[in-house]
Amino acid sequence: MFLRLIADNFARRPRRKLLTAAALSLGMAVATAALSVSLDVGDRLAKEFRSLGANLVVTPEADSLPLEIGGVDYRPANAGAYLPEADLPRIKSVFWHNNIIAFAPTLEVQAQAWSPASRRPSSSAVLDKASLIGTWADRSVPLKDGSVFQTGISKTNPWWKTEGRWFEDDAAQCVLGSRFAEKNGLRVGDTVQVSADGHSWLALTATGVLSSGSLEDDAVLVPLSIAQKLANRPGEYRKLYVSALTKPEDDFARRDPKTMNPDELERWSCSPYVSSIAYSLKQVLPGSDVRVIRRVAEGEGKILTRVRMLLWLVTFASLLAAALAVGASSAASVIERRMEIGLMKALGAGSGTVGWLLAAEQLLLALVGGCIGYGLGLLLARFIGTKIFGVPPAPSLLVLGIVLVLAAGVTLLGSALPLHRAANYDPAPILRGE
Amino acid sequence: MMVSERAASSEQPTVSDRRSVNRSMFWRLIRRSVFANRARLFVILLALGAGAAVTAALLNLQVDAKRRITGEFRSYGANVLVVPATANSTQDSALLNEAVVKVVASGPTSTAVEGSVMLYGLALVRRKSGDSLATESPEAPVVVAGHGQGDPLESGAFKTVEKAPESKFAEDPWVRMAGCNVGSAVAARRNFHVLDVLELRNGERKVDCAVQEVRSFGTSEDDQVAVSLRTAHTLLMLPGAISLVRLRVSGSPDQVDETIRSLQHRLDENENLLRRFSAQEKAFYAQYGNLSQEAMDGVERRLSGAEVRPIRQFTEGEARLYGKISGILTATVAVVLVLTALCVMAAMTNIAAERKNDVGLMKAIGGSVRRVLRIFLAEAALLGLLAGLLGAAAGMIVSIGLGKAVFGVAAQPRLIVYPVSVALTVIVAILAAYPLRRLVQIRPASVFRGEE
Repeated sequence: MFLRLIADNFARRPRRKLLTAAALSLGMAVATAALSVSLDVGDRLAKEFRSLGANLVVTPEADSLPLEIGGVDYRPANAGAYLPEADLPRIKSVFWHNNIIAFAPTLEVQAQAWSPASRRPSSSAVLDKASLIGTWADRSVPLKDGSVFQTGISKTNPWWKTEGRWFEDDAAQCVLGSRFAEKNGLRVGDTVQVSADGHSWLALTATGVLSSGSLEDDAVLVPLSIAQKLANRPGEYRKLYVSALTKPEDDFARRDPKTMNPDELERWSCSPYVSSIAYSLKQVLPGSDVRVIRRVAEGEGKILTRVRMLLWLVTFASLLAAALAVGASSAASVIERRMEIGLMKALGAGSGTVGWLLAAEQLLLALVGGCIGYGLGLLLARFIGTKIFGVPPAPSLLVLGIVLVLAAGVTLLGSALPLHRAANYDPAPILRGE
Repeated sequence: MMVSERAASSEQPTVSDRRSVNRSMFWRLIRRSVFANRARLFVILLALGAGAAVTAALLNLQVDAKRRITGEFRSYGANVLVVPATANSTQDSALLNEAVVKVVASGPTSTAVEGSVMLYGLALVRRKSGDSLATESPEAPVVVAGHGQGDPLESGAFKTVEKAPESKFAEDPWVRMAGCNVGSAVAARRNFHVLDVLELRNGERKVDCAVQEVRSFGTSEDDQVAVSLRTAHTLLMLPGAISLVRLRVSGSPDQVDETIRSLQHRLDENENLLRRFSAQEKAFYAQYGNLSQEAMDGVERRLSGAEVRPIRQFTEGEARLYGKISGILTATVAVVLVLTALCVMAAMTNIAAERKNDVGLMKAIGGSVRRVLRIFLAEAALLGLLAGLLGAAAGMIVSIGLGKAVFGVAAQPRLIVYPVSVALTVIVAILAAYPLRRLVQIRPASVFRGEE
């Protein structure tokens, strides 16, 4: 009888139910969209923050102190220490390997450059001092587990713009800094002769012109292997930039790992703080000194925390508004049925039975409306996510659960007061139409 | 009173009379229908008001947040550099006239600009005496960076590795006067610690300083010893000169571009002034740097024009982030507005459903559909206005608190937000009266017969 009453009600007044269900599912759709977007936004934004470039830098521990002013290193040539290139694949074997987005080793060599193709008016052939930066443009690094990791300077420094294309990592090619190219009147396709000692010359074809907005504009970028050959440092590099996804640092993260007890140390190293990633990198790269580029790392944490808080706030507000909308419509649907309630009571139904009946109806509605709303909300979240980040957020079952619980809670809350009143109705005046 | 006066002056008293009676009847109906059921009024005001409050709070927060986010980028430090123009200078080590700062600071800018000046040079460093066991160390070359007083861009960009206790400086005024900060790489390689006394030497010039702090930046600052600009001027024998100005230009990406352009323009206009010292300046600098007139000429020859250069790493990264963040904010506010409209719609449907009998009666005694609808729309607008005024005010107050929670600074109430959210509430309330359209189809007879 109980089920029949409910089924009958849905069948008999489909239009009224449809309206309430529509309000419910729209409200829940918005709630779903807001929840999916804000659950996802932390990770997405963290990726966006990587457009600011590397947040970790690795240098040889035993290196001499760089004497660099305005991009020119005043250290004597060949002074200092280097790190082996062969160790690099190990970076992807640390605990946080999935958080490491890109890395690029560099090796700088002071050299002479000469080009027969120069278009500078003053002289036909130009002899210019140039700092050559050897690096990986876009390299496939084979990993121990058989997979291949694509990385290079174009990934760690995404703001770099190249006119033309990057060099092949094993070819005799180079990319000219924009100011260097301008000063010497060089273009893409020209040949540049470089030499570190002035005797043996190496011909490089310029495949692109780099505009970085910083000191690299005055340099020439070459494949790492060529820089190694010129510097007579086969298989070595001097500086490594690592771009890693991190968790904003809190007070706990700033503590010195040496002062922690084993439990704390485990908790610390199991959180992707920039300092714990630095620590694990140091362990796989012997003889290295891993430093956090504070400028990049700290701003990120601050802004990310703020934006996240803001979004949760907005999500909370939209959940509240959804709750109000749904509550109001379910309250309306209960008030409307005073006559029916009166009749049921007159026929001997207890307050409990009437309340149960109405609550069951509302819950059924919440379930249906919540599911439809979840589907609609996913579409909306997809739209918003694609519009802003170019990637739709992954649908999450957690959100479905939250939305269903929310829908049920909200409809019950919204109808609680009218239901309570309905349970106390005296059937006689209602049936008389008063 | 107004109504009756107008009625008296009218040429067609009967029509005007009827009109004025109609009008007062109209308002009476509305007053009655609004205030008759207190409980219902409360529910609708709550729904509409909550909508208005959420709208106002979020709009205000959004307007404020976009501005604040650009302010938060400040923690990235400088995003623009003023450097010596190398294009038309043949010298390797061109310098800027310190007067560049005046040019940068002058003139109107649409955005906040703050900055600091830097002077770099090479010197030899050794430890003269240590706090405890440390002994003298041999001389080694190091980059000396002279900072302007109280660099506003440095906070947050480094991690303090070692810091001398404040009390040490309080009891020893000499230490406080000539302090220096040592980069972590320098400290590690040379084994320098806080309170060590270092000697910096450039040729004959010598300066002593006590290490106040060891700092880790992760950038080339780690390889430098930071002293005051004044110390660097005398030590490097370059009074009146600086290597670069670091600027933080806040604002949206377009504003940053605009500021860079106007700055470059102003610097170009003053280039002739910047390429030399005035006689007065020269005399002053010679005395303050303890230099001969000829040496000052040498410094002057190294001065060059200035070039404003955005640090693309930050300007572009920030522009990208700004776009994303404001996109998210706009999307969420749009979503909340839709929700609010839904909320109000639900409340208005409620009213319409309850009013069947009223409408039947009005129609039965000769009310045209248009007049009945007008009464309901006026009621909706009135409710919207009332709830909007109250709710939006509440929302603005809430947003101030929210701004404080999120950004640590109370959000400034934007006055434009208030009328906008009130207007939005009224519009939504009227739009939400759309379900009332169904009232047109009501047949009075069936209402009175008690049919559905």
